[in-house]
Amino acid sequence: MSENIVILMIGVSTFLGALGLIALLWGVKTGQFDDQSKFIDATHFDNEEDLRDAVMMEEKRKARLKKKEEEKEKKKNYMPAD
Amino acid sequence: MAEIACTHCNLTFDESVMITEQAGDKQLFFCCKGCQGVYHLLESEGLDTFYDKLGDTQLQPASQKSDDLEKFDLEGFKNKYITAHDDGLYEINLIIEGIHCSACVWLNEKVLHKTDGVMEATINYTNNKAKIVWDPDEIQLSKIIETIRSIGYNAYPYDPKLQEERAVKTRKDYYSRILVAVFGSMNIMWIAIAHYAGYFSGMKQEFKDILNVAEFILATPVLFYSGWVFFRGAYYGYKNNIVNMDTLVASGAISAYIYSIYAMVTQRGEVYFDSVAMIITFVLVGKYLEVLSKKHAVDTLDSIMGSTPTEVTVITDNEKSLISIENITLGDTIELKPGEKVVIDGTVTYGQGSFDESSLTGESEPVYKQKGDSILSGSLCLDSVLRYEATKDASSSLLHSIVSLLEESITKKPRIEQLADVISGYFSSIILAIALVSFAGWWFMGGDFEHALIIGISVIVIACPCALGLATPMATLVGISIAAKRGILFKEATFLETMAKSDLLALDKTGTITEGKPSVLHTQTLQAYDQNLLYSLVSTSNHPISKGIAAYLKQNSEILQELPLENIKTIQAKGIEALYQGGKLIGGNASYMQASGLSVDEQTENTLFYFAIEDQLVARFELSDTIREGTAQAIKEIQAMGIRVVMLTGDHEQSAKKVAKEVGITEIHAKLLPQDKAAMIDKFHDEGHVVVMAGDGINDTIALAKSDIAIAMGNGADVAISVSDVVLMDEKPQSIYEAYRLSKRTFRAVKENLGFSLLYNVIAVPLAVMGFVNPLVAALSMSLSSLVVVGNSMRIKFLKFKN
Repeated sequence: MSENIVILMIGVSTFLGALGLIALLWGVKTGQFDDQSKFIDATHFDNEEDLRDAVMMEEKRKARLKKKEEEKEKKKNYMPAD
Repeated sequence: MAEIACTHCNLTFDESVMITEQAGDKQLFFCCKGCQGVYHLLESEGLDTFYDKLGDTQLQPASQKSDDLEKFDLEGFKNKYITAHDDGLYEINLIIEGIHCSACVWLNEKVLHKTDGVMEATINYTNNKAKIVWDPDEIQLSKIIETIRSIGYNAYPYDPKLQEERAVKTRKDYYSRILVAVFGSMNIMWIAIAHYAGYFSGMKQEFKDILNVAEFILATPVLFYSGWVFFRGAYYGYKNNIVNMDTLVASGAISAYIYSIYAMVTQRGEVYFDSVAMIITFVLVGKYLEVLSKKHAVDTLDSIMGSTPTEVTVITDNEKSLISIENITLGDTIELKPGEKVVIDGTVTYGQGSFDESSLTGESEPVYKQKGDSILSGSLCLDSVLRYEATKDASSSLLHSIVSLLEESITKKPRIEQLADVISGYFSSIILAIALVSFAGWWFMGGDFEHALIIGISVIVIACPCALGLATPMATLVGISIAAKRGILFKEATFLETMAKSDLLALDKTGTITEGKPSVLHTQTLQAYDQNLLYSLVSTSNHPISKGIAAYLKQNSEILQELPLENIKTIQAKGIEALYQGGKLIGGNASYMQASGLSVDEQTENTLFYFAIEDQLVARFELSDTIREGTAQAIKEIQAMGIRVVMLTGDHEQSAKKVAKEVGITEIHAKLLPQDKAAMIDKFHDEGHVVVMAGDGINDTIALAKSDIAIAMGNGADVAISVSDVVLMDEKPQSIYEAYRLSKRTFRAVKENLGFSLLYNVIAVPLAVMGFVNPLVAALSMSLSSLVVVGNSMRIKFLKFKN
C-alpha cells in the first residue's frame, strides 16, 4: 500500500466530514436550532403555502428597497427652481 | 341541556347561552361576541385552515380589549422598547399572550406576514416571545398590536437586551465549540487506533508521519477554537492570581500539543494529539452541562415594567393630558380609570373605589379606598374612576423601588463556593508543581532534556482533569433530571449543591403553607333554599370569598344553573345584592347583614358569609384559608434533617400563630412588609446560615432574590417564579422535603466522584513521575476514569422516596 492511498483516504473522508460540520455550524449560527419545538413542529405545517409566504415576505422587502431607491433618486435629481 | 363547544375557542358551554349562527349547511356556535368576530375575520382572510391545525385544543375566549392602543405610539414608549435599524426599519420584542399550541403561533405569524409594512415576524414556540420588524412609514406599532388583538391574542413589549440574549448567545457559542471538538476528537480517535496498532506491530516511519500530520490538522482547531474558553479562563485566573481548573487544562493541553509538534517534526517519540483533543472535549462537555440552564430573572422584571403604563392622565385646570411618568411632579392630580395600574404613589382627592393590592401584600382581598386614603404604586384600580394627588415622583414610588431593589439583589446574590472549584484550585497547583519537579529531577539526574520533558508532560496529561471536570456536572445533571420528573424544577445545576448545604428554611404563609384561597369549613342552613340562587349570586363576583363559596357549591351538588339575576350590585367590603324575579337576594358579611336589619351570630375566628332571601337569613358559611395537604408531615421531616424552619408572613400575628401551631413551626415573624422579609433573610445570613426561602407572591420576591436558594410555587406570581431557583410544579410542601433529600444525595455523589478522581490521581501520577506511562495507557485510563464518574452519578437514580 503506497503512502498516497493513505493520504487520499484520510484526506477525502476528513473533508467530507468537515463539510457536514460546516453545515451544522452554519445551522447553529443562523439560529435554526434555537427553538426546539419549532424545529420539530415545522414538519407538521410544512407545505406549499409556507413557501409562498416566504416568497411574499421576500418580495415585500424588495419592494421596499426599490421604493427607497426611487425616493433617493428623486431627491438626487431634485433641483430647486431658482 | 347539551354542552356544546364554541366554534372558535373549543370551550364547552350550555347550548342555551351560546350565540348560534347558520352558515350554509353548518350550524356555528360561539361563546361570546369576541370569538364570533375572530372566526369571521379568519374566514374572510382565508385563514380558516387554522381550525384544522388547532384540533381539539381549547383557547381562551377572545375578549374585546380596552383601548390603550395610543400608548404604543408615544415617544416614551418608543425610546424604551423600539430599536431602529440603519435602513429605517423598526424592531420590537413582544411577549404574545394567549398562545396555547403551535397552531396559535402559526396563525399569529401568518396574520402578521399578511399585514402591509411588516417585514419580519418570528414567534418562538417555547416561550411565546416574538420579534417583529416593520416599516414605520407604512404602519404604526399600535396598528400591529391591534391586529394581534383582533385575532384574540394580546401582546406586550419586553426588553431582551439583558440576561436572555446573553444566555442564548453563550449556549450557541458552546454548541459550536462542542461540535468542532467532538468532530475533531472522533476523527483523531480512529487515526490514533491505527497509531496504537503500529505501536505494537511496528509501522514504517512514512505512515507514521502521515498519521501524525492528520492528527495535527484535526487537533489544531480543537485546541484553539474549542479550547479557547480554557485559555481565557486561565488568563483571568492568572490576572487574579488564582490557579484553577482552566489553568491545568490549558497548560496540559498546550504543552502536550507543543511537544507533539516537536515529536512530529523530529520524527522521534510519540505524539499526544489524541490526548489534547480528548481533554478539551471532555472538560468542555462538562462545562457546557453547567451553562445549559441559565436563568432569565432580569428578563421578567422587564415584563412587569412593560405592563405598567409609561404615561398617566394628569388633570390641570380641568384639562386632561397624557404625561410621561418621569415628568410627574409632587402635587400633580392624576386620574385613574378602572383596570389601570397605579405607577405613582399618592393620596385620593376625589372619588372612591377598591384596589387590588395583592402584588404588594400577598393578601387577595381588595382594599376599599376613599378620599384621604393613600394609594400605593403596584396596586390595581378595580372598579371606578378616581383622582389622586401625587405624593412621590416616579423614581421614589414603591413599585419602582421594589424593581430596583430586585435588580440589585439579583446581581448581588450570595454565591456559595462550589466544592469542585475549591478542590480543583489546590489540585491544579499541586499537579503543576509535581510536573515541574519531576521534569527538573529527570533532567538533572539523567541529563536528557527531551526525556525529562516527556515525563513532565505525561504527569499533566495523566493527571487528567477529565474525571474532575465531569464530577460535578454529571452528578448534578442526573439530580436535576430526577427532580424534574417529580415536578421540582431546578433552574441551575449548581443549586443542588447549595441547597444541600442549607441549614435554614424560611416559609411564607399565604400561598405557600396555605392554599391562598378561602374555602368553606362549616355551613349552617337556617331555612331550606334554592342553591341555584346562591350560586348565581356568588358567580357574579370575583371576590375570593365568593369564589370559595361557588367552588364549595359546585363540589357538593351535581346540577347547578345560573339563573338570570337583575340589578346586581357589589357593595365594597360588604357583599353583593341582586333581584331574582322581584325577590331580593343579599350575600355578604355580618356588618352588611346588620345594615340590612338582620341579627346574626358572629362567634368565630374564621371569615363569615351570610345569605339572605327577602330579608330572611337562610344560610351561614364559615370560611378559612386551608393549609396545604401534608404540610405538617413535610415540616416534621425537614426538621428531622436538622434544618431550622421559620415562618415569615405579612399577615397579623394571630392568624400566623394559628397556622404555625397546626404545622409545627415554633419560630414566627409576622406583620412583615416585603422589605422586612428581605431584612430577615439578611439577618439569617449574618448569623452564618445558608438560607432556603419558599414563597409565591410579588411581596416575597425581594426576600426570594436575597436568599441562597429561592423556591417558588408553580402558579405563583411570574416575578416570584423568575427570581427563584427552584419551582415546585405540584405546589406540595412535601416537594420541598424531596428537594432537600435529592440535593443531599446528589451532593454525596459529587463528593464520591471528586474522591474517586483524586484517588485515581494518587495512583496514576506517581507512575507517570517514574516514567512508566506511554500514550496508550494515558488514553485508556483517561476514558476509564471518566466512565467511573458517569456510572457513579447514575446511581442517584436509585434514590427512594417514601410512598
